[in-house]
Amino acid sequence: MIRVEGLTRRFGDRVAVEGLTFEVREGEIVALLGPNGAGKTTTVRMLACLISPTSGRAWVGGHEVHAEPEAIRAIVGILTETPGLYRRLSARQNLRFFAELYGIQDARDRIEKYLRFFGLWERRDEPVATYSKGMRQKLALARALLHEPRVLLLDEPTAGLDPESARSVREFIAGLKGERRAVLLCTHNLPEAERLCDRILLLRTRLIAQGTPEELKRRLFGTRVVIELANPRPGIDAELRLPVVKSAELAGARLYVEVSDPHRDNPALVRRLVELGAEIVSVREEETTLEDVYHELMGDTDAQG
Amino acid sequence: MRRVKAVLRREWEEAVRIRMVLFSVSFFPLFMVGFAAYLVWQGRSLPPQGQAVLMNTALIYFFVLPVVIPLSIAAYSIVGEKEQGTLEPVLATPIRDWELFLGKALAPVIPGVLISWAAFGIFLIASCLILGGIPPGVLSPPWLLSIFALAPFTALFAVFVTMIVSSRTTDTRAAYQFSSLAVLPALIPLIVYSARLTAVNLIFVGIEVGVLLPLNAVTLYIALRLFRREEILTRWK
Repeated sequence: MIRVEGLTRRFGDRVAVEGLTFEVREGEIVALLGPNGAGKTTTVRMLACLISPTSGRAWVGGHEVHAEPEAIRAIVGILTETPGLYRRLSARQNLRFFAELYGIQDARDRIEKYLRFFGLWERRDEPVATYSKGMRQKLALARALLHEPRVLLLDEPTAGLDPESARSVREFIAGLKGERRAVLLCTHNLPEAERLCDRILLLRTRLIAQGTPEELKRRLFGTRVVIELANPRPGIDAELRLPVVKSAELAGARLYVEVSDPHRDNPALVRRLVELGAEIVSVREEETTLEDVYHELMGDTDAQG
Repeated sequence: MRRVKAVLRREWEEAVRIRMVLFSVSFFPLFMVGFAAYLVWQGRSLPPQGQAVLMNTALIYFFVLPVVIPLSIAAYSIVGEKEQGTLEPVLATPIRDWELFLGKALAPVIPGVLISWAAFGIFLIASCLILGGIPPGVLSPPWLLSIFALAPFTALFAVFVTMIVSSRTTDTRAAYQFSSLAVLPALIPLIVYSARLTAVNLIFVGIEVGVLLPLNAVTLYIALRLFRREEILTRWK
């Protein structure tokens, strides 16, 4: 649904985004992760045909960016960094304006459907200025969905929201998974990206890494198994010597063993330890978070930069 | 035109909720009508020739109205969009740049011109009531041309200037103050006629049109260049 090849954007001498190549398929939610100034918003703006790329190509819903901008804008729903609502107008007036811009035929029904869906129907005729931050964000989401777009570009959808509002917005995004849409979610909220997204794109002007959260963790940290021993014996880590063991390290009562596939390799590992006289209390996989991956990769680029 | 109409409707729905805009749109024309009518009332005992001179002087003030009214609407329109961050979602819709520009330009011009003409009409009715009729030689073709044909041009000029100024500022008051320079072309006939350098005549009206047309063309060109999607998103501060 979204295909990007070597997308680059410069503002004068400053490179905002360089050589981006990625894809977002139908039914997929993909996170664009990166610190402030990494180029997330610039990427979204290029995909929404708001600014043109300096070089490279991109297709959205089969239409090439800037060759067919109007066709793309008709199938893209965008949630910008700030809700960008007309605060003096009511929720209904805001949505009616956008319904007219998108040429929606059954605007009245569509507006009611989304205002009810986001729990804003009761306050539909009150000025948006009187809404809470969470309500405004929901209204901005309703606006992004009003024309039922096939592609959704969400820029920091939960930024600045209280935990309750953030949770309801996240629940809504999670609910999009079953639908036939492609969703590109810009965020620097790592747990949010891990929980909601099928794949992660790590961006810092250039694309640093991409994959599912699990793939990224494995690629960087491998898979470590933590074995708690009742009788830790110095040197047992060196004696393991199994083809499936990549590395082993004893720290206190815990033995950290790096393997490729715990499901496949753990039985052999446990057998070997028992042979070596170890009394095993527990065996578990070490938890690596996306945050560890993020800091590892961003730390690397910092060092290079 | 569907999208232009949508922009117009939205602009007006917002404008009627801004107290400053409502105040300047209603107070200024009322003040002008009241002031001009007072002038006429003071000369009610003069001979018809004297009444005509006085009424012609009063009419001059109606040149300024079609400039001042759109100024406040246009300043709030652009700066308000910037303050609220509403331009990006609008630009992400299939609306074309020219449709948005036309909607934004016409939203202040239409009420500006209509209110000016309405104020002029009210003044004429008031004068009729005060003097028992319009003195001869007042509503000559050059005068009517000045009021009805020049008003849209001066209003458009004011709006284009405001659009240019507003694209570079985030403060409504600053936009309004700088845009007030757009009143200048409307002040020229006021100065010329007040100083009695010439009487209202077709040649002078022609010169006014001759000056306003290229001025409008230049300001429209600059405003259109500033009103491109990318320009708005990356350079408007």
